[in-house]
Amino acid sequence: MDKAIEVKNLSKNYGKVRAIREISFEVDKGEIFGLIGPNGAGKTTALRIISTLLQVTSGSVKVFGYDVTGKADKVRECISYLPEEAGAYKNLSGKDYLEFMAGFYSRNSQEKKDILEKGIEIAQLADRIKDKVNTYSKGMTRKLLLARALMINPRLAILDEPTSGLDVANSQGIRRLIKSFARQGTTVLLSSHNMLEVEFLCDRISLIAEGLIVETGSPPKLKEKYQVQNIEEVFMEVIK
Amino acid sequence: MKDFYNLIKKEMKELITRQFILSLVAMVVIYGMMGKFIGGVKEEADTKPITVSILDLDQSSISRDFINRMNERGEVEIEVINERSREEALERTKERGEKALLIMPAGFGERIEQKKAAELEVYSIMKGMSMTSITGRSVMGVMNSLSRQMSLNIIEEIVPDWEAADLIYPLRAKEFIVVEGKATPGNLGMIEGFAMSQSLLIPVVLMMAIMYSGMMVISSMGMEKENKTLETLLTLPVKRSSIVAGKMAGAAIVALIMAGIYMIGFTYYMSSFTPDTSGAGMTAVRELGLMMTPIGYLLLGASLFLAILTALSLAMILGLFVRDSRSAQSMGMPIVLLVIFPFFVLLFKDLGSLPLALKVVIYLNPFAHPTIAARALVFGDYLPVIGGMIYMALFAATLVYITVRIFNTDKILTARFSFGKRKRDI
Repeated sequence: MDKAIEVKNLSKNYGKVRAIREISFEVDKGEIFGLIGPNGAGKTTALRIISTLLQVTSGSVKVFGYDVTGKADKVRECISYLPEEAGAYKNLSGKDYLEFMAGFYSRNSQEKKDILEKGIEIAQLADRIKDKVNTYSKGMTRKLLLARALMINPRLAILDEPTSGLDVANSQGIRRLIKSFARQGTTVLLSSHNMLEVEFLCDRISLIAEGLIVETGSPPKLKEKYQVQNIEEVFMEVIK
Repeated sequence: MKDFYNLIKKEMKELITRQFILSLVAMVVIYGMMGKFIGGVKEEADTKPITVSILDLDQSSISRDFINRMNERGEVEIEVINERSREEALERTKERGEKALLIMPAGFGERIEQKKAAELEVYSIMKGMSMTSITGRSVMGVMNSLSRQMSLNIIEEIVPDWEAADLIYPLRAKEFIVVEGKATPGNLGMIEGFAMSQSLLIPVVLMMAIMYSGMMVISSMGMEKENKTLETLLTLPVKRSSIVAGKMAGAAIVALIMAGIYMIGFTYYMSSFTPDTSGAGMTAVRELGLMMTPIGYLLLGASLFLAILTALSLAMILGLFVRDSRSAQSMGMPIVLLVIFPFFVLLFKDLGSLPLALKVVIYLNPFAHPTIAARALVFGDYLPVIGGMIYMALFAATLVYITVRIFNTDKILTARFSFGKRKRDI
């Protein structure tokens, strides 16, 4: 089994609104896969379904062979999800927050300590890690949340707009971090508006518009196919 | 179990903030201060003799004797004034800040001598609506007592061989209180304080514990949604039932701490109103078997626990529709109303005396049962208590089941009351 994610004919309706319409894609283990599209295209819905948050209307989704509907508990053991607009518990310190999260992934206190140390290292918040989250800037909170998502060495990291709210320097650092995790074996599924980020990070991408996947491939191959300079231009060509 | 404790710890850390502790401390201090102040005012009103001006227009030996007797009783401070008219006397009384004016009209003594009722004019001067302005032992109380004494003197004078008191009061009441066939000497006034604690104090504490628990859970859900932490929480490798249980247990612990502290403050506050329950009153309560037994307390605790569990599970369902901390306040209203309604009904009426329809409504409301239990247990009546507990257990179990089911679906993220156009990020 080389597939980390298998999505087949997935549809999701919110009442009469069809958010996703029979999309299919696969993500290989260790791959960084991007879902790219404008606001309202269905990216977040797809990520939420794969993260076991939303239920499937029709079709199937498997994560490391586990069905997200029937084996949601098993799927949750494999994944770490970072929502786009996520926050942390404001009355906890950054360290307490990471410790709380580490508690769910550790079997003993040493393991918990190791996860926590890794989280603190990834967050790079220095002494501010001991301050309450409600004193953090948006960028600091995002770094803390990313640390939470990656500190457990997840088999699959699902990152919705991972660099949202971060400045250029911090964004670059995060991209490098995601790449290094992928090299160590973590599969990454991310969504982004930032086409340059996608080009830099992703091994393969799917372009999604109005709930449909309109194109899938590696950034170099897609650029070659559409004879354009960057992914932004690919996207514009595809949705023309 | 590890995940459950981890969640409880987090819930408590989130809910017990510096503001929360400060507001609790402030509440206890305010109740304490109010209790002390009201107790002081009431004591002053009860013990401080009232001051009375007396205008003796009769100037007879009988009127002077009457004034002397009033003075001797010491219950009122008397200032004899010598104004010429009622208006001047009233003006003078007001100027001196006294609370009443007593005028003995001309002919007062003569009528007494003729064994006829004599009139006294009593003017009570009201300065405001405060407790000290309108309470205090009345001049009329002293007057009546003197009037009785005068009757006794007159009767003894007319029929010296008879016991004057027997002639005035040919009937004597020997009072008994009867509860469930048990009788003990005394009257209902003696156990007023005990009845007050049963009908007000215990239900208030029960009501607070239940309401706080519900509100805590709804607030917790509100904070999860406002801080956008719920999605992350739901993707953790933790059973949804553990998340539900952790939230409910964390909120219940915080609510019980709150209710306990509230109870201390409220008990102190109420003690300034409640008549003393020591001495003869409590002896009567004990003899009537109205004291709650250890088993009674245990059952009351279990009843409260089940009501809290019901409130928590109902709050979890209501919490699904909360969008932020502000909407959490309004979403808590159904619980507040459900808790307050039986409290007020049962505060003024006994369950047995209610019309059938209202009785059914009260029985169907799970939050009425701890109050019903508190009263029934005093009378050693276990049947409605156990029946109420079974009902609450079934009610809570159904709600918990529904809550866990909802938590296992995406309704937890998508459920909301919509009063207009809504935006959804897809």
